Amino acid sequence: MCACEKQPEFPVPEQRVPIEIPKALSGRILNMDDPGVERYFVGDILTEPSSSWRWAFRHPAVKIRIRTDRPLKYIVDLAVPEITFRDTGPVTISFLVNNHVLDRVRYTTPGEHHFEKAIPPDWIVVGAENVAGAVIDKLWTAPGDGNQFGFILSRIGLAE
Amino acid sequence: MISAALMPVFAAAFVASGCYATGTLALRWTRAKVDSIERIPLAFLLGAAFLHLAIFALMSAHLTFRAAWWILIGGLIIAAIRQRAPRSERRAADWTLRIVFGAITIPFTILYFVNAWAPETSPDGASYHLAIVARYLREHGFVRITTSMYADLSQGVELLYAPAFAIGRHSAAALVHFAFLLALALAIYAYGKRIGEPWAGAAAAAIVYASPVAARDGTTAYIDVAGAAIAFASFYWLEIWDTQREARILAAAGFMAGYAFAAKYTLFVVVPVALIYVFRRERRFRPLLIVSSAAAVMIAPWLIKNWIFVRDPIAPFATTIFPTPYLHTLTVQEWAAWLRRYDVKNFWTLPREVTLIGGLTQGTIGPIFLLAPLGVLALRNRHTRWLLAMGAALLATYFGNLGTRFLLPCLPFFALALCLAFARSRIMLTALVLAQAVGSWYSVLPLYANQYTWRIYEFPYKAALRLTPSEQYLGERIGEYNFLRSMEAQTKPGDRILAFAGVAASYTSREIFGSYEGAENNTLTDIFDIARYDPARPSRLLTFHFPEQQTRRIRLMLANRATAPQQWNVHELRFYSRGSEIERSRDWRLTSRPNPWEIQMAFDNSPVTRWRSYQTGEPGMYIQVDFGKSQLVDEIRMWTSHDFEWPMRFEVQSFEAGAWRKAGDSFEETEIPGHPFLGRAATAEILARGVGYIVVPNSDPSAEDLADGYETWGLKPVLHQDGLTLYKILPP
Repeated sequence: MCACEKQPEFPVPEQRVPIEIPKALSGRILNMDDPGVERYFVGDILTEPSSSWRWAFRHPAVKIRIRTDRPLKYIVDLAVPEITFRDTGPVTISFLVNNHVLDRVRYTTPGEHHFEKAIPPDWIVVGAENVAGAVIDKLWTAPGDGNQFGFILSRIGLAE
Repeated sequence: MISAALMPVFAAAFVASGCYATGTLALRWTRAKVDSIERIPLAFLLGAAFLHLAIFALMSAHLTFRAAWWILIGGLIIAAIRQRAPRSERRAADWTLRIVFGAITIPFTILYFVNAWAPETSPDGASYHLAIVARYLREHGFVRITTSMYADLSQGVELLYAPAFAIGRHSAAALVHFAFLLALALAIYAYGKRIGEPWAGAAAAAIVYASPVAARDGTTAYIDVAGAAIAFASFYWLEIWDTQREARILAAAGFMAGYAFAAKYTLFVVVPVALIYVFRRERRFRPLLIVSSAAAVMIAPWLIKNWIFVRDPIAPFATTIFPTPYLHTLTVQEWAAWLRRYDVKNFWTLPREVTLIGGLTQGTIGPIFLLAPLGVLALRNRHTRWLLAMGAALLATYFGNLGTRFLLPCLPFFALALCLAFARSRIMLTALVLAQAVGSWYSVLPLYANQYTWRIYEFPYKAALRLTPSEQYLGERIGEYNFLRSMEAQTKPGDRILAFAGVAASYTSREIFGSYEGAENNTLTDIFDIARYDPARPSRLLTFHFPEQQTRRIRLMLANRATAPQQWNVHELRFYSRGSEIERSRDWRLTSRPNPWEIQMAFDNSPVTRWRSYQTGEPGMYIQVDFGKSQLVDEIRMWTSHDFEWPMRFEVQSFEAGAWRKAGDSFEETEIPGHPFLGRAATAEILARGVGYIVVPNSDPSAEDLADGYETWGLKPVLHQDGLTLYKILPP
């Protein structure tokens, strides 16, 4: 093949059809075993990979970019383990969105719990990262190494 | 544990023995009279040249199965053993010299051996040198690799790594390279002995051997030290021929000169220098023919391979002379331009940079080479004149790539010239060597060199012995190693992965490639870039109106020149007659100059693909359509972008009565408002082109956007590790 030769010719290719643009997500629910979920952590969540859950400490929080102004809910799946509950007794967890307290819930039994509540629209900043967090009133101290833990987090986020 | 540790050593020793065995057979054929010291490097290097040819043949025949290595190399070793070794002249040993230089070089040898033996972590070795070898081994021979222009470079040394890698994996290849470093040092010393200056030879050998860049390069799966050894061996054979005047010796010099090109393109200069040497000695045609023919035996296979695979015998270069669909001229030019400058702003700083600092050019040759100009003090010596001439010829090619390691081929010549200048003073020679040795020792070098210079960093004996598990050692030293291992589980054989980061590709069996190493890579990346960078979007519409033409063929031709790297981009090109678009038909024939192979991207109705000239815009570039039948045309619309928008001028031409005639040259430009999201179209297009995954580093400008909105891009994160995210592209 040399530059002085005739250029190769090609037929018209298959015509691409326009692809429907998926609607922008109005929020996101973070599963603790999502690849790369650590990048959303603001703090107080164990960053070491585990299975489908992670330890949360006193004030776990995540950041989520919100792209639309549709109404959103705060959603979280957590667990108060039997072993911590035995020492701490009932605990109160406050749920926060951008430092506004959305609700406070007192958990009087150990086990898995689900919390979900609509967020006042004026708390959300569209086009920016919004912080969804929680604060537990009592920490459990592990007897072996003295490390302190709050609760177990499986899923947390802001979504429709 | 023990077998895992010893296997690389065994594999490297097997291949090195194969080289030496082949060389002893070839040495006998040359009838050269060599002494017992010079016999070792000359046989090893000449054998390497012939063994590389044999492996080339195996690769071409797709016969690189494990048994083939045992039969080929084992057979050569047995053949050499069965044939009695020719008697080599033994000379009385100079024990003072041996003790002095032995004491200096033995610690380096232990350091080097351990580093070469430890798991391979070098950037280029772990990425393309061994990744290409691994790919050939998986395919049992050569295959067309279009996503890495490094696969187009001659691979005369990498082919020797293939059997070592097949048996002992990565560090076996590095140990083979270390054998070349030993051969180089021994050859320099032997050369000094041959010309009656053993102390100068030993000192030069030690200076080169201790050089930090030789140390690092020669203990990894790079090829530069091997190239230096091969180039020096060619010169050595010429010197032997000069005293023995045997045609077969001349052929050996030619073989080595050709093998230098086969090892590394930049060593092509060894061939003309060899021819000049021979012509200066014997002004006859026949010796020149012998040298050039022998060199051609080593060079031709590589040119033919490239011709067959990528249509360009010296790919990735000269693509304007040998246009190829697999490489984009502008990308190669930009890459080559960077190699010519690295980040060096002032060339007068280069001597200090390459001898002492090494932060920009990736390595240092050692402080003593600042004295290299003193070599001219020995110009009265005929050997020095040739040494300096050869060194200068090799130095000339250095300016094509300012990396310090590209100086390696010059070092033996300049070191010998320097030491010959002080040949009468053993104390001075010893002092030079000591200064180089102390200044180059791996724990001393960081005291004055840039902390990030490419060098030996440690004495990893636990890793070499595999007392530290290889997985742990590699995970700590190769940032993406654990990611690559996890990626194996997330993908399946045959999956193709586009990475927006360089990775140690030899540690995965998946086809993973970066954004610049080939035309396909560039195109896939461009598709992604169109979706994420506003200036690359089809936001400009150029409309050409001209008197109605009744024609079968029409061209849009560029009429003015751009400045590099401005190029011509066309997202879509459409033709109109009296206000209505002429419907595209399968009967149409499309072409362009340059880059005809991608012209369909300007006719595919996709906003995320575009034809690009991939050469700096110049008059005479065109896009041409043959409608297949006579057609009325009075308008052309061209969608293009803002990323290259020099003041373009065009000419519309129609083909009439056997000639191209101007139909018009004016156009109006319209800005297309709005920026629809193109991310999903881009990933769908990439998937349609057979690439199912992309790797995005955290440092990528789009990393956060993708992480936040991967669903809208049609992506699913399947792995996040070592600062890299592996996204699977979902079908639309």
